[in-house]
Amino acid sequence: MIKNYLKVAFRKLWSHKAFTFINIIGLAIGMTACFLIYLYVTFELSYDTFHTKADRIYRIVADIKTPTEVINASGPSWAVPPNTKDEFPEVESFVRISGDNLLIRKGDKKFQEENTIYADSAFFHVFDFNLLRGNPQTALKEQLSIVFSETAAKKYFGKTDPIGQTLLVTGDGLPAKVTGVMKDIPENSHIKADVVLSMATITQKFAPGIDSQYGNYGASAYLLLKPGSNAKALEAKFPGFLERRNGTEMKKIQMYPTLFLEPLKDVYLRSTRDGSKTGNIYNVYIFSIIAVFILLIACINFINLTTARAAERAKEVGIRKVAGADKFQLIWQFIGESVMLCFIAFLLTILFSALLLPLFNQLAGKTISTGIFHNMYHVFQLFLASIGIGLLAGIYPALVLTSFKPIIVLKGRFATGTKGILLRKGLVVAQFTISIALIIATIVVYNQMKYMRNQDLGFSKDQMMIIDTNGDPAKKAFQQAVASIPSVKSTATSSSVPGGGNPAAYSEIENIKGELQIANLDLYFVDFDYINQFKIKMVAGRAFSKDFMTDTTQAMVLNEAAVKMFGYSSPEQAIGKRFKQWGREGKIIGVMKDFHFRSLQQPIKPLSMRIVPEGSNLVSVNVSAANLPATISAIENKWKTLIPNRPFSYYFLDEFFDKQYRGEERFGRLFLNFAILAIIISCLGLLGLASYSTVQRTKEIGIRKVLGASVSGIVNLLSKEFLKLVIISFAIAAPLAWYFMYKWLQDFAYHTSVNVWVFVFAGFSAVAIALFTVSFQALKAAIANPVNSLRTE
Amino acid sequence: MIRIKNLEKIYRTEDVETVALNKLTFEVKEGEFVAVMGPSGCGKSTLLNILGLLDDPDDGSFLFNGIEVAKFNERKRAELRKRNIGFVFQSFNLIDELTVFENVELPLIYLGIKAPERKQRVEAVLDKMQIMHRRNHYPQQLSGGQQQRVAVARAVVNNPKLILADEPTGNLDSSNGNEVMALLTDLNEQGTTIVMVTHSEHDARYSHRIIRMLDGQTVTENIMV
Repeated sequence: MIKNYLKVAFRKLWSHKAFTFINIIGLAIGMTACFLIYLYVTFELSYDTFHTKADRIYRIVADIKTPTEVINASGPSWAVPPNTKDEFPEVESFVRISGDNLLIRKGDKKFQEENTIYADSAFFHVFDFNLLRGNPQTALKEQLSIVFSETAAKKYFGKTDPIGQTLLVTGDGLPAKVTGVMKDIPENSHIKADVVLSMATITQKFAPGIDSQYGNYGASAYLLLKPGSNAKALEAKFPGFLERRNGTEMKKIQMYPTLFLEPLKDVYLRSTRDGSKTGNIYNVYIFSIIAVFILLIACINFINLTTARAAERAKEVGIRKVAGADKFQLIWQFIGESVMLCFIAFLLTILFSALLLPLFNQLAGKTISTGIFHNMYHVFQLFLASIGIGLLAGIYPALVLTSFKPIIVLKGRFATGTKGILLRKGLVVAQFTISIALIIATIVVYNQMKYMRNQDLGFSKDQMMIIDTNGDPAKKAFQQAVASIPSVKSTATSSSVPGGGNPAAYSEIENIKGELQIANLDLYFVDFDYINQFKIKMVAGRAFSKDFMTDTTQAMVLNEAAVKMFGYSSPEQAIGKRFKQWGREGKIIGVMKDFHFRSLQQPIKPLSMRIVPEGSNLVSVNVSAANLPATISAIENKWKTLIPNRPFSYYFLDEFFDKQYRGEERFGRLFLNFAILAIIISCLGLLGLASYSTVQRTKEIGIRKVLGASVSGIVNLLSKEFLKLVIISFAIAAPLAWYFMYKWLQDFAYHTSVNVWVFVFAGFSAVAIALFTVSFQALKAAIANPVNSLRTE
Repeated sequence: MIRIKNLEKIYRTEDVETVALNKLTFEVKEGEFVAVMGPSGCGKSTLLNILGLLDDPDDGSFLFNGIEVAKFNERKRAELRKRNIGFVFQSFNLIDELTVFENVELPLIYLGIKAPERKQRVEAVLDKMQIMHRRNHYPQQLSGGQQQRVAVARAVVNNPKLILADEPTGNLDSSNGNEVMALLTDLNEQGTTIVMVTHSEHDARYSHRIIRMLDGQTVTENIMV
């Protein structure tokens, strides 16, 4: 019996190749998109789940209230983690992690290791980072102990055994001993490191006493709780703990932290404290919804095309019924056919996914999967899903087909009911609603990207080369040497450049009432040339100047946002007001016009600048556009003579700044690709349906032509009904898309509006695409010789 | 073999109620060859549907071989149908994607008969219908007369007790038509009961008895001599 079904199914598919192609390809494309999104979503959801103790690990974060603002810090102060372990029995272990960009030298090999962290000795106990060599209990115990990832170890030691070897770290060339080699940290870990140094290096060597500092922040921290402990209950004990340990100090500096425990598994997707560095649960939701939509569109095609052909299959159903088949056998036959189609689509999906995976990894900006078959579980799930889709998509057509009255069908008096047509139309409307909404969303995302890139940032980032000296003592000499190169227009030094990180300082600034107001102010260390170099405009007072001896120690420049925060209604009012910051005191000498020192997602925050040469490690070089390679190599030569101990590296500020939008750009590109897919699949369905409807109306077209209808009249007639559906879809999609995109834009502090032209464009393109698809079929029918179609009666 | 009494079938749409069978009563004995005649819309097709156990009546009694089947459900009807009834249609109704052999084989498949026996029985009946040489052809490759012979072969391959024929010669020229009627007569003489719906007085003359229907009722019964 199964053989018979398969025979009929295969022959039927073969004799309707175009139909089969549309049906299977449409489904396969939809399933491929869905599968890739599924891989992406499972990958995002898999972050940090590989730690066996993940359910007991919490990250401590802090909201710090100052008289001026609330700071959302992603870690507590240095003293908190060790002291919680002493005070609360439910805390089993703690790990603090602090990032660094560390110079490491071994013989003539020297690398600036960007992915360096310092971690407490319980690092390998709390987390499941796999230590291949060395003792996990002791590897990070002593100061200047160093653990490499496999890849990093190879870089320094090749095939020789790294354990026990010594290399030089930091600019001072401190000897550090290799105590372990760990497996490379997997991509789906929010903690990333190639090099791990013992935290004792900081707490004993670099900053002794930091372990008891409750006002010093900068590390992130994780607590491993004992089994059965209640995190919420522990959280509730923190205020009392801080009050006991640090109450007096808190009052004095007027900074009141509140500590929270974030489950480890939530850190990557649900925490908002790390900005764009981590994932976003909303993107996961959005892409899941898109996947469901695309699959829905593909399934609708499948159902539509199958039921549209009901008339043709009806005869077979009738014959089988009179030959003795009962309804269930027939239902299973059709469901089986649909499952078979889905199985073919499954094979194609595997093929497409395998081909597209590298591209998709690139699009997503990380290695979501190295190969489809590396995780057979996913393939198996895809297989199950395909069978499931086959069952679901097959049920409705099977029920429709088997409900026919055989004698009526076999006597040729079969007519498709209006109910089926209405349903098909409804499904087409659903498809196009989704497609049009995706078109609108894509345009809005792109407009926002363009807006962010073209927005006047308030500073100049063109032809600006940035070189990090990492605090090398020769940095001043290097800057002077670079300045002497003819193709270098100007140079400046600073601690920070726009788009990068910067310190935030405990500050006291005289406010409008004449009091010193405490705030946590973003801070740039700069030199005399910085403001000029970056073409930052002054709105009141003056920039730093060598003409004023006191500028190096007693002068501060604020931005407009800072001035406003301290209550001044005009920038001029702030000039000459007092400040205290990190041990320095003096006067505000000028106010800068606000510039975007962070991405446009965030509002411009209050910012202060002071001249601090020892903190200004970044050399920014404004180079002329002509013969750039020669200029760069000239700069590199200066570096090699003056700072031979460090590797030379540089970046351009415009690219660096745009890096902040990489997440959005990826989002936009993925969005665009999936929107195009959705539209293609919808059009495939429309094409199939249109060709079907045209075939069914062949006789009508013939009669109309005999009676004198023109080709354009016929095309018009056939296109009109589909066009109507697209217009209805637009009417539904437009308000929905507007609402969701309006919401999406609210996440950006600076954003475009949802322009009416977006809708006009989306509407017209949907109509045009649909018209093109349908009229192709209509035209074919319209120019056919009517005699042929009428003779078939 | 067939005994129906006060059989009723009413089709309802939103505002129209059509009485297809109106307290229809008649009987067909085993081995009989009965022709049913009447104008379009008199209820012939509905009758055939019910006799063929493809549809159920709204009211009345239908005894098939002495069993009351009027209230049988779909599954029971299918079971009875595939063992006892063969169908022949005006428009042949072969499955285009199956060969002659596969078309004829179909009822045996639904009866759950094993492949070797199927092959034997199909070949025997194809031989009898003289279309053995066409066994691997598809329906479109055959003439109308050949197609109807395949259809008859399919109707008789499971040795049904009853053959329901719906204008079996309607799409054939007279010589092919006569050939098919000869086939049916032959089957009848070997003991198969035949109920045939027809518009053709010529074909009706092959039967033992003509039932004439109008508006869902029998009006006359002629015994052929």
